[in-house]
Amino acid sequence: MTETVARTRRALSLTLGRRDALAVVVAVALAYLTLYLFAIGHLSVAFGRTGFDLAVVSDAFARAFDPTGTLTYEPVARFRAGPVTWLVSPLNLLVGGVLAGLVGLNLGVSYLLWRRPQACGVNPSVGVLAGIPALLSGSACCGPVILLVVGVQATGAVLTAFAWLVPAAALLLVVTLVLVARNVSPTAEAA
Amino acid sequence: MSSRYTRRAATLGGLALLAGCLGGSDSTGGGRSDPGTTTERTPRRPNDGAPPTASKPLPVAHAFETLTSEVVSGGPGKDGIPSIDDPAFGDAAAGDEWLDDEDVVFGVVRGDVVRAYPQRILVWHEIVNDELDGVPVSVTYCPLTGTAMGFFRGKTTFGVSGRLVNNNLVMYDRETDSRWPQMLATAISGAFRGDSLQEFPVVWTTWGKWKAAHPETRVLTRETGHLRDYGRDPYGDYTPRKGYYASDSTLFPRLHEDDRLAAKDVVLGARTREGVFAVSTAALRDRGVVATDDGAFLAVYDPTLDHGSVYRTEDVDASTFSWSDGTVSGPGGEYDPDALPLPRVVAFEGMWFAWAGFYPEIELYD
Repeated sequence: MTETVARTRRALSLTLGRRDALAVVVAVALAYLTLYLFAIGHLSVAFGRTGFDLAVVSDAFARAFDPTGTLTYEPVARFRAGPVTWLVSPLNLLVGGVLAGLVGLNLGVSYLLWRRPQACGVNPSVGVLAGIPALLSGSACCGPVILLVVGVQATGAVLTAFAWLVPAAALLLVVTLVLVARNVSPTAEAA
Repeated sequence: MSSRYTRRAATLGGLALLAGCLGGSDSTGGGRSDPGTTTERTPRRPNDGAPPTASKPLPVAHAFETLTSEVVSGGPGKDGIPSIDDPAFGDAAAGDEWLDDEDVVFGVVRGDVVRAYPQRILVWHEIVNDELDGVPVSVTYCPLTGTAMGFFRGKTTFGVSGRLVNNNLVMYDRETDSRWPQMLATAISGAFRGDSLQEFPVVWTTWGKWKAAHPETRVLTRETGHLRDYGRDPYGDYTPRKGYYASDSTLFPRLHEDDRLAAKDVVLGARTREGVFAVSTAALRDRGVVATDDGAFLAVYDPTLDHGSVYRTEDVDASTFSWSDGTVSGPGGEYDPDALPLPRVVAFEGMWFAWAGFYPEIELYD
């Protein structure tokens, strides 16, 4: 256990210490965060819209904690830039940021293993796949509309499963990160 | 010389008829938890903050125990879909700045007050706690059953419970926390179990048609106190119909399956003491007037608003009414479709599966 933690920390240190691997982490995290915000409906694009606009609700701090669903929270600001509208919910930014960071680290460590001779052939897609449940959990205002696409009716069991998608995604991402990181040699040095 | 009502006169006349309905005669009555029984109740008065109720409960085809056992979570929690409690309105020009003529709006007229509630806003909030001409009301919309309905709320307000039955919004009143499925307009649990709300008609139409008929209209603005992407419908689109609104599937279980029409076909339904019936809106558009088999009710199509109304024919022979180019001819003359000199029954459009689910014995005219 101790060795696993040590290897994971070492792998993360190596990943964040290399400029190219760090770039992978940041790029993947930003891409995932963008996808997550689209999935939960906080980011949208309407072509043809122009101009800039910023709106903030009254009593924003208190309302930032109002839940609108499982692990989704009330947006307290709206930022528009041209066709892009971003509904800013600090707590969802936090949730999405944690997930995005984990996905980025998964890919960053996988990249490191691919670029270094100590690599053991771990498939980098493992880390990305682990993040998909969090994207699926992006539900509409009343019911997970993604179910329409897959043709499944929202029974109690399915809705319970949806409620656990984000925590499950986070757990999966941690597990895959540990699995990937343990392939990094403890004696390896950053190139 | 034939008589012909103007739309303004029709509005006032409709309100008078509506006021008559609120006593519980035409829009209310019929069986309750035990189908077929009729129970007259003393309506509760809103002096304690509770919503005013009808003297005769509306028909409910399923036992309350069945309905409560079929209630499911929709995902968001209580008030996770926030009602609009401090609505703001602009004039038609303000609406034109962001609404297209084809966008769906829900129109209400009461006295001199004419208001439009855009579906693009209500899809995110489902309930607007408003006042019309000084009277507290709630204008409600359930996206999953495609139903827009109005209720008198007294001193309380209604909120979204986050739960659904037969895919229909379950409202709660903030005074007693009783649970009111929107289409039933009858509490299925809580202190008001078995009581029905007093209703008023809401017109499902388009922004272009509504503002043409009512240039003086005020329209709900996007200053709702909440931030949502009002340019996006999370379920699909009505212009043209796609996504959930065009799919044969529903998101949640239905109370009853009935394949006489496709699940999302739209019908104009009414619940009356004599029974519950629905007229396919496609058939109504095609024929102009549709009478029930017993001749007791007449559905009339209004092309001005692409909307249907239902009248109780009383002693008039329903078969004597005919429709031509938006004008109804009857025994007493010619009338605008929304201005027949007959008592009006509260009727509303909804998806077929929803009507058939709540009322399995529903008569269908298509």
